[in-house]
Amino acid sequence: MVKVAVLLSVGRHPASERSRRAPLDARALEMALSLPDADIHAAHAGDPAEPALRDYLGMGLARLTVLSIASGRDPIPALSTYLAQLAPDVVFCGSRAEGGEDSGMVPYLVAQTLSAAIVPDVAALSVKDHKATLTQALSRGRRRHVEIRLPAVVTVSAAAPSPRQTAFARARRGVIEALPAEAPADAFLKECEFRPWRPRPKRMRLTAAGSAADRLKAMTETKSGEGTLMIQPTAEEAARAIYDYLLEKRIIEERS
Amino acid sequence: MRPRRDPRAERQARFIPGTERPRFVLASAPEVPSARPRRDPRALRRAATIRTGVRPRIDWHAGQPGAVGRAEVVARPISAPEIRIVADPAFLVLAVPDHPGGALSDHDRELIGAARQLADVGGGAVVMLTAGDIAGLAEAGVDRAMAIPAAQIDNYDPEGRAAAVLAAISLLKPRHVLFPESGEGGADLARRVAALSGERLFSGVEALSGGRASRRTQGGAMEMAGALPCLLSIAENAFGVHEGVRHEARKLDAPEFSAMRRIENAAPVPVKADLLPLADADFILSGGNGVTDWKRFVELGQALGATLGGSRVVCDEGHLPRDRQVGASGSVVTARCYLAFGIAGAPQHLQGITEVRHVVAVNTDLHAEMIKRADLAIVADAQAVMPALLQHARERHHG
Repeated sequence: MVKVAVLLSVGRHPASERSRRAPLDARALEMALSLPDADIHAAHAGDPAEPALRDYLGMGLARLTVLSIASGRDPIPALSTYLAQLAPDVVFCGSRAEGGEDSGMVPYLVAQTLSAAIVPDVAALSVKDHKATLTQALSRGRRRHVEIRLPAVVTVSAAAPSPRQTAFARARRGVIEALPAEAPADAFLKECEFRPWRPRPKRMRLTAAGSAADRLKAMTETKSGEGTLMIQPTAEEAARAIYDYLLEKRIIEERS
Repeated sequence: MRPRRDPRAERQARFIPGTERPRFVLASAPEVPSARPRRDPRALRRAATIRTGVRPRIDWHAGQPGAVGRAEVVARPISAPEIRIVADPAFLVLAVPDHPGGALSDHDRELIGAARQLADVGGGAVVMLTAGDIAGLAEAGVDRAMAIPAAQIDNYDPEGRAAAVLAAISLLKPRHVLFPESGEGGADLARRVAALSGERLFSGVEALSGGRASRRTQGGAMEMAGALPCLLSIAENAFGVHEGVRHEARKLDAPEFSAMRRIENAAPVPVKADLLPLADADFILSGGNGVTDWKRFVELGQALGATLGGSRVVCDEGHLPRDRQVGASGSVVTARCYLAFGIAGAPQHLQGITEVRHVVAVNTDLHAEMIKRADLAIVADAQAVMPALLQHARERHHG
């Protein structure tokens, strides 16, 4: 039996700005729910009356613990105390919240207080004999296998399996258990100023060097290649030239 | 110089006045001194020519009283580009790049641009902490380079790298530490360092101006601005790249560090290239109207480990599925290498490959746009080159 904690947050729809289940947190819950033989404890730090929390219950959770905290306060001490008492083997989080400070620091600070390993951007996970084998999703569709000793904090990538539908009856049936929690005010956020985001103009790559004619050419001309040209070579010559070029640019590697 | 003949004056001298009809003395030509010397166009051209570079410049008004002052042309010796040395920096800015595959990425260069922006305000210096030696740091604008020996850092060792950054921070006492906010490991490393050091991280910085940093927050709806913090991570495409003046990139000794490693084992997983979406692919084999043997084309893709793509014509005819179309109406690709067989290069297709670094094209038409765009262009029949390349790849891959 693996003891699993899932940290859930409330998301915000980018267009309508209505609260919703956060997409990455829903993926984290999906990964926890599909883990065989797991004892799942889900927690949220915030307002217990938030209706979007019911969406998580509708995915198949029986109970959700909410540490009641006023908005804009630091959730880390409350979450750390809760998780230290629970002592889970694996903590699942989305890699970043949407709607708060969105710094992506919660998993790292939680791992620090639990003195657990942290692995970011996980797409799949299996647990065996107090060890976990994870598949990390990297850029350009690459994957990496990582082995760690539990306990571990895992942040879930957008490449993880998509979350299941939320069921209305389950969402009504599930229990939200509110616990009082201590949350200090965040002095750093108080000093910062907030204003609505204004889209910035797209940055153009301008070349500062060269004459005016060179700069105009660089801006207007389509990029042309290095210009190695072979005219009517034999098929073997052409094949060798292409293969050597690919090797030279380290696109492919020669197996020895 | 021969005197210049004046035919009108000569005619006037031969004229016999006082007759009814105009009459001329034809016997002897009288000597008429010319007022103007004969022009020598070659000498004039030689005198007007100013040699500044490969092409000569000609200044016809040189030396004339009304002419605009002739520019003093001094042949500038071609020397090494200018180098800027910050000998005694007022403070240090530490930049920790991703350098995936041992080379600076575009995001890393933007990171150095942001670090230069912070350092140049008050006479500071940019220090870069890399794992192993990286080439091209001086051109990128780095004043000091600190390389952790590659033996101490494993291929994937974020815990070791975080410990190394902390050791460098305690040694150098930099005013700011900058990371790239990227999925290549920079975002992860920044948060590890922030958690270990207890400092607040200002993540995904979009702008630095007037001693303040700003970033997007609340799901991108709000902008949050605050005083410049110690730890920053820099968003992609937000800062300009440092250009022009070289910097010193003087080597510093890396500090000793010890890390507590909880990640036991990490290894990359081979991914089937053909299952990747085109936008994610790193190496694309693309076919156009010049390809007829599609079975061979697929075999070649498998042998080279390339993701398959095609032009609009090919997808219209059903040789490849629609999600494999490259171009303005298909996918805009960001692959490192694009190998095009039998593609002429319609403007819409070339729009789809503007971000590609290395393009190889095989086409029968020498004047095709694709041949002009390619880094290695081969004017040959794609159908003949494909089996040769397939055989070549199979022999050398297993030989």
